[in-house]
Amino acid sequence: MKSENSTPKVNNEHLRYRPKPNIGHLLVLLLIIVFCVFPFYWMIATSLKNQQDILSPTPKFLFSPTLENYQRAVSKFDVALSLENSLIVAVTTTLLSLLLGTPAAYAIARFEFKGKKDLWFWFITNRMLSPIVLALPFFILARNLKLLDSQVVLILIYLTFNVPIVIWICADQFRNIPKELDEAATLEGYNSFSIFWRIGLPLVAPGIAVSAIFSFIFSWNELLYALVLTRKYAQTAPVVATSFMSGYELPWGQIMATGTMIALPVIIFSIIVSRQLVGGLTMGAIK
Amino acid sequence: MIRLIRRLALSATCLALTAGIAGAWTLEEAAKPYKGTQISVIFLDRPGYRAIMKMLPDFEKRTGIKVNYEIVPYESTLEKEVRDFSSNGDLTVALVDLVWIGTFADSDYIVSIDDLKKQFPNIFDPNYELSDFFPLLLNAFGTWNGTVYGPPFDNYSGLLFYNKKMLKDAGFDKPPDTWDDLLKVFAPKLTQNGKFAYALQSRRGETQSCDSFMRFIWPWGGSLLDAKFKSNLLSQQSQEGLNFRQQLIKYMPPGIVDFDHIEAVNALAQGQVAMITEWSAFYSTLADPKSSKIVDDLGVAPEPKGPAGRKPALGGFSLAVAKQANDNQKAASWLFIQWATSKDTAKEYVENGGVSGRQSTYKDPELVKKYPFIEPMVESWQQGVPEFRPRFAEWPQLSEIVAEVGTNMMIGSTSIKQGSEEIGKRVEDVLSKAGYYDGKKKLAQ
Amino acid sequence: MPTAKKSYSTGAFWFVAPAMIVLLVVGIIPLLFALWTSFQQFILPKVHFKGAFAGIWPIFDAPFVWLSNYRDLLFDESFRDALGRSFLFLIINLPIQVILGLIIALLLHRPGHEWLKNVTRIALVIPMATTFAVVGLIGRLLFNGDFGINNYFWNLFFGHKMEWLADPNLAFVSISIMDCWQWTPFCALVLFSSLTMVPIEIEEAAKLETDRWWHILRKVQLPFLLPGITAILILRTADILKMFDVVFIMTRGGPGAATELISIYIQRIGFRSFEQGMASAQAIVLLIITIILSRLYIRFIYREV
Repeated sequence: MKSENSTPKVNNEHLRYRPKPNIGHLLVLLLIIVFCVFPFYWMIATSLKNQQDILSPTPKFLFSPTLENYQRAVSKFDVALSLENSLIVAVTTTLLSLLLGTPAAYAIARFEFKGKKDLWFWFITNRMLSPIVLALPFFILARNLKLLDSQVVLILIYLTFNVPIVIWICADQFRNIPKELDEAATLEGYNSFSIFWRIGLPLVAPGIAVSAIFSFIFSWNELLYALVLTRKYAQTAPVVATSFMSGYELPWGQIMATGTMIALPVIIFSIIVSRQLVGGLTMGAIK
Repeated sequence: MIRLIRRLALSATCLALTAGIAGAWTLEEAAKPYKGTQISVIFLDRPGYRAIMKMLPDFEKRTGIKVNYEIVPYESTLEKEVRDFSSNGDLTVALVDLVWIGTFADSDYIVSIDDLKKQFPNIFDPNYELSDFFPLLLNAFGTWNGTVYGPPFDNYSGLLFYNKKMLKDAGFDKPPDTWDDLLKVFAPKLTQNGKFAYALQSRRGETQSCDSFMRFIWPWGGSLLDAKFKSNLLSQQSQEGLNFRQQLIKYMPPGIVDFDHIEAVNALAQGQVAMITEWSAFYSTLADPKSSKIVDDLGVAPEPKGPAGRKPALGGFSLAVAKQANDNQKAASWLFIQWATSKDTAKEYVENGGVSGRQSTYKDPELVKKYPFIEPMVESWQQGVPEFRPRFAEWPQLSEIVAEVGTNMMIGSTSIKQGSEEIGKRVEDVLSKAGYYDGKKKLAQ
Repeated sequence: MPTAKKSYSTGAFWFVAPAMIVLLVVGIIPLLFALWTSFQQFILPKVHFKGAFAGIWPIFDAPFVWLSNYRDLLFDESFRDALGRSFLFLIINLPIQVILGLIIALLLHRPGHEWLKNVTRIALVIPMATTFAVVGLIGRLLFNGDFGINNYFWNLFFGHKMEWLADPNLAFVSISIMDCWQWTPFCALVLFSSLTMVPIEIEEAAKLETDRWWHILRKVQLPFLLPGITAILILRTADILKMFDVVFIMTRGGPGAATELISIYIQRIGFRSFEQGMASAQAIVLLIITIILSRLYIRFIYREV
């Protein structure tokens, strides 16, 4: 990010092999934006249409918007409760993942010990576990521990795919901090924990932000575990989104209204923190 | 005739009244020991459940029993229930689809009504009258191997919905009575100018296996299995039916294998097709001006006859008490089931959008007049095949096989004959593993 | 240095232990249970819960069948087909996503249009953050044969409509497009981050020597991109092999078995046919395949650095 402002002059000079670089660049960027935003825009537009406009074979770009779909969706399912559940689960599991993941990432980046590479890979492997096969064991365990239909069980399970992400992203960031800093701090009498806490963590803020974004997104969006392990009181937002898929009725407007309500919070959150995304998303592996 | 029915209805209410006065049995009294008990059940997002949800506060107020329900999409209901019942979960009422009764009964998930009666004689309403249910329904999704487990709760019959105006414009003043007519006489005339004669929901899943595939087996005299549980798909009758379905495809909208119920219903509602065969419960969608453009032209008739007679699709759910519930929950659950399917609630249930399975309900001429789907539906329930889809525990596996190969047949990536052979082979494989061929298991479907 | 190293390694344990213990408890116990059931003929409606050992480990009366589930899956044609389909999906989509992502990253890295680039970066976040289930729903809406907007434009340009979700090949294309929509931005952002890691002096020096952008890409930027690319390969491979939500909602694996990816198939065996033992065996084989692939990526792509 730092580089952008200081270099345009130099670069332009050396990109002269393209006659009109700017126009093409502009158009392609616009195209990318349209490609990314259009499906999302179409979802919002559909959520504001009545059924007849939605089913019209010629898509209606101009229509009189209605909030009816939102009203009906909210009255039919407890969307508010599910959003609250999703929020609690996503925030808690994100915080816990950071709490557990950053020290581990620090150790992997900074310390030398036997089996470090394997440990790193084992952490990553947790992300590869397929929920389809773990759902039943989790269900039975949760049942025995009386944790069914609770936010706690989701928070615990979501750690299995969030802690690896935190470790992966943050380990790479820690590795980029010059070792000299640690050594200087050791001379000043810091122990390894305060080095991590006072020196390491502040320097990897972008990595923490990015891993927080991803943990949040992944937890907010998770469907299969939530479908199996929740019932009524702990239902998360994606579960409600699929409630409409009864195969019996397909109220597109209401589905898209719910989809919008579910996706919007996490998108707004991501957009707010998107500045951090670039600095922190350098994902390396253990060499 | 109407007068007779009215008199009957009147005498029925008199009877109920006298019973009430005698004070023999009331819900309030029977529920007293179970006040404060919590029961759990799974509901679907369909009209019948919405109707009962609307009426629940009354039940809870009268009995002090708390009903916890969870709304689940149909596609994940079986999975949720089986997981719950097999690990000693907390459901106290089982929602039993016609095709699950075998599984639930064989796996000992549900309690038979006789056993309940023995354990809790006081909670049974003497006026309940199990024999009032349509025998076909009670038999098909409440009974397994001769034992009754639960009353029919949410009931369906396949019906022919049609667009009167489109039929009239093509020169027909009534809907086809036989499948043959539909294909040879009606379909060619109704398929023109981008409109199609017929739509058949065929999306992969239970929709393909039940609504599409089996619908074209039984009316031709075919069946999935023969008496020895070997595949019967290669029989001449089954093949005829499947070939018939293939011939009909050219009168259906393109992309029919991606049509689920809603797409088929929409196609009719938007005036794109002239006829569909769909569940009775879709009447409300088709008769609602908000979702349908053909409200005034909507016609309802029984499904057409095949060479072997009228064998319409049959579906529905019963409610049964779960074995894993504790004693108080068992009693409270039965009180709920009994109330939800009782004679007294039937009319309110229908008026809220439900479909009762009781014969007495439809003797009310007012209701029959108000809901035009009732007459053809009642007619369809006079006869029919309880094992329209086999109801044993292996059906979910068979359904997956039929759904996969069935769609492949329709898109032509396998021929009818090859596909039937493949289904037959894989089905027999499943049944052989289950132990049907070495005498370990009774041949019940 | 050596003394420091020693004190570090004892400290390392305390840093790593919390994460390790939690993942062991939450991740390993259920996995071990799955492994255990994979040796059993575990058909859910036919087994009975017999209580829990030590309050945690559930006991069922399922017959033990040793390796017969694993043997059966070797001969299971549908399993092989589904696995093949998943690999086809991987081989088609992963390169598209990485290459498109790289192009977008380079465009973002290129000077000029600063404001528009910021907007692009924000726009890229949207697909990534959209709930997978909702992506599937959007897919069904866009690709609907009757009123879908994709068909509208297709008709406008080519004069006919296509059955996107009802034709086996097009259905595969449709789910691929939705996957690319959602994940190309992720690749773009990871690679763009990697590009910002290239020391500015080196890049400028290189630009003085050559005016061909692909030389700069290969000689200067590529080494910095490789870790990011490896990360993408590992993550996307794992995610595609367990991809479920989008496909299930868009096509349910149909028409026929055209979009039945491996996880849809395992779900069908485990959740619909209730052969949990068989499904566990299949999922464990899948996990092993994912691990082997990840190892290969790390070994071969890093070697080039």
